[in-house]
Amino acid sequence: MIPTVLGVILVTFVLFNVAGGDPAMLKLGKQATAQRLEEYDVQRGYDKPLICGMWGKTRAYRSDFRFSAAPWGNIPAVVYTNNPNRLILPAGREYSVPLSFELKPNTDYRWELVCRDGGWSEPDSARFVITSGTTVVKVVSLNADLWKKRFVEFRTPAEPGDLKFSFHVAVAPIEVKSLALYKRAGGFFDSQLFFFLGQIVRFDFGISAETNQKVSIMILGGLVPSLILTVPIFFIGLVVQVLLALVCAYYRNRFIDRFFVVISVILMSVPYLVWIIGGQYVFAYRLHMFPVWGFESLKYVILPVLVGVFSGIGGGLRFYRTVILDEVYKDYVRTAFSKGVSKRGVMLKHVLKNAMIPILTSVVMAIPFLYTGSLLLETFFGIPGLGNLSVNAILSSDFDVVRAAVLVGAVIYVIANLVTDLCYAFVDPRVKLR
Amino acid sequence: MTLENEKTDAGGKSLWAGAWHALKGSWLAMASLGIILVFAVTAVYGEIVYWRYNIINTNPPEVLVPVQKVLARVLMAGNVKGQIPPYQRQDLDFQYKRPGWSCVKAFDGSVKTRFFLMGTDGLGRDVFQRIVQGVRIAFQVGIITSLIAIPIAILFGCLAGYFGGWVDDIIVWLYSTVASMPALLFILSISMVVGKGLTGVYLGIGLTTWVHLCRLIRGEVLKHKELAYVKAARVMGLGDSRIIFRHILPNIVHIIIINFSLRFPAAIETEVIMSFLGIGVQNEPSWGIMISNARFRLWYGVWWELVFTTLAIFLIVLAFNLLGDALRDALDPRLRKQQEEV
Repeated sequence: MIPTVLGVILVTFVLFNVAGGDPAMLKLGKQATAQRLEEYDVQRGYDKPLICGMWGKTRAYRSDFRFSAAPWGNIPAVVYTNNPNRLILPAGREYSVPLSFELKPNTDYRWELVCRDGGWSEPDSARFVITSGTTVVKVVSLNADLWKKRFVEFRTPAEPGDLKFSFHVAVAPIEVKSLALYKRAGGFFDSQLFFFLGQIVRFDFGISAETNQKVSIMILGGLVPSLILTVPIFFIGLVVQVLLALVCAYYRNRFIDRFFVVISVILMSVPYLVWIIGGQYVFAYRLHMFPVWGFESLKYVILPVLVGVFSGIGGGLRFYRTVILDEVYKDYVRTAFSKGVSKRGVMLKHVLKNAMIPILTSVVMAIPFLYTGSLLLETFFGIPGLGNLSVNAILSSDFDVVRAAVLVGAVIYVIANLVTDLCYAFVDPRVKLR
Repeated sequence: MTLENEKTDAGGKSLWAGAWHALKGSWLAMASLGIILVFAVTAVYGEIVYWRYNIINTNPPEVLVPVQKVLARVLMAGNVKGQIPPYQRQDLDFQYKRPGWSCVKAFDGSVKTRFFLMGTDGLGRDVFQRIVQGVRIAFQVGIITSLIAIPIAILFGCLAGYFGGWVDDIIVWLYSTVASMPALLFILSISMVVGKGLTGVYLGIGLTTWVHLCRLIRGEVLKHKELAYVKAARVMGLGDSRIIFRHILPNIVHIIIINFSLRFPAAIETEVIMSFLGIGVQNEPSWGIMISNARFRLWYGVWWELVFTTLAIFLIVLAFNLLGDALRDALDPRLRKQQEEV
């Protein structure tokens, strides 16, 4: 169980933090200022290093000369050229690095730059200079024949507004292949991964960028309506499916059995959306038997529950029928019959009890479906549950809520799995808990 | 006619020949195979229509430019240059027309008559043409997601079953982790991360639905590993990869085929749901988008778009489900044996 939980956390982390690209950009859009993007990042820990390390990214300066000259494009005299893609800063000028916003006061930062000068200029003819007002804070010589990576670390003063970073190129042009600014993290393990783990431990997933509510409160608030919807679907559905399957097994290979088998394949093939749209149209809109949309009283839940139960019958009936038929041909059934137990008694007492193990397994397999099944039901019938919440969050690229919903759903599944394992011990005396 | 028959009569029927014979015997299986073929032809037709109108506008990489030119020539794309494809063609004179002939008096007084097999939607677009495009998208989704999921399942299943030990532990851990993720929500969030569109749909469905097949293959390989023919191959000094892929895999390929016929409709349904929610296909007529558009119109009596779309989904899913059942009965010897015992 614990490895699976760790796996779930890891998969969620990889999906949203590693593969997720730039959540801030997705959420706030391309028009957002670097400052606002940075605030979003800081709030959600995206400015920290990924797994561990001392240096995290900052949006105060971002460039990728492999793809474009931004943000150097409009600076006079600067040349952007290819093979390899690089900036050329011609001699005889000063070039100050264009920052998107002021750096944070009293914080450690670090420049990483890769540059060369072609190898024929005098020593110290090209320098990277950090000045604060009129005082020079740091000077680094940039002369190198070949591409060389340099780190320039510095600490911002209390008033970082005067801070200026510039290339002083005196004799020969300097070529810059990459330039990046990093911010020092709080510690070696002050990273996105551990930030996320901390969030999980505290059950505090931050604040949704869309609704400005605490994500954990949104999730907890959505849980109750979801359960009101899914628990009845689950149990009513299970009872109906198993009963029908028993009927089929009872009359196996006769008309009733054949009829239900055909019906179940047909029911299975009806798209889930059609169940919902059709149910809503016929029972709520045409016949006015139930309200169409909303979540105010128990009456609002009946139709979604019915739809949920009906949509599940096809697949469930087919599955349980095979499960029960598997049992029907076993020796103990023959023994029971030869002892003179009635057919009904054999079905209900002997067969059902033994079929309980695969039924239990399938019940657990159905739990994730409940989560997703309710996703659509909730959207259609306007039930403010987890499904509705996560669909809205996905549509508005609200990473925090989606991530929390995925994680909670997965953890619920893992717990349910554990509970079934415990149930095996009650159902099957051969299984012993160690 | 002669030689092959003699061969099979002498040596008993091969699994495939027997399976084909069983399939041929069941009218239900043949009917569903026929429906699938009709849909496949429709998908190809939809593909032709799509590329006929779009091939000129695409910018393929340099290598493919000659291919593009040849295809444009073959499809006679030049004849329709600059035209809007039929499934996007709007005609506001023909809003919400019932299936069949419809006759309208246009704004300038002229009378227009057009035939719509399945009516038109709110922008006067031909529902039939859009459903054909839906078939195209559905087949793309079914095939491409299978091309992603099945190789993953085969690779992991074979490795886990054959090598056991820590390889098995890791793979079992991996698939039980993926199985724990809330299915649809996980798919939706993958496609949110990848970006809305068909790529997101492919990756979302493909990367999450390999678990079931992987489990089956692992179990089957575990069983086959102990059989005499594998042991013999090992004694002969054959390499592991040769034993797995040349000896064991052909013996379990029926599982993959059955799984394919069952995953196909599931993938289609998932795509419909994704497109319906607005996360799947963008700017193209997909069944999900059509249902989403037609949903509220149903309440005003515009039934045709919804009914024909759902009918299409229902038919293809039903056909695949029935075929999957028939294939399972025909190909899975274990099940066959059970039935014989009964």
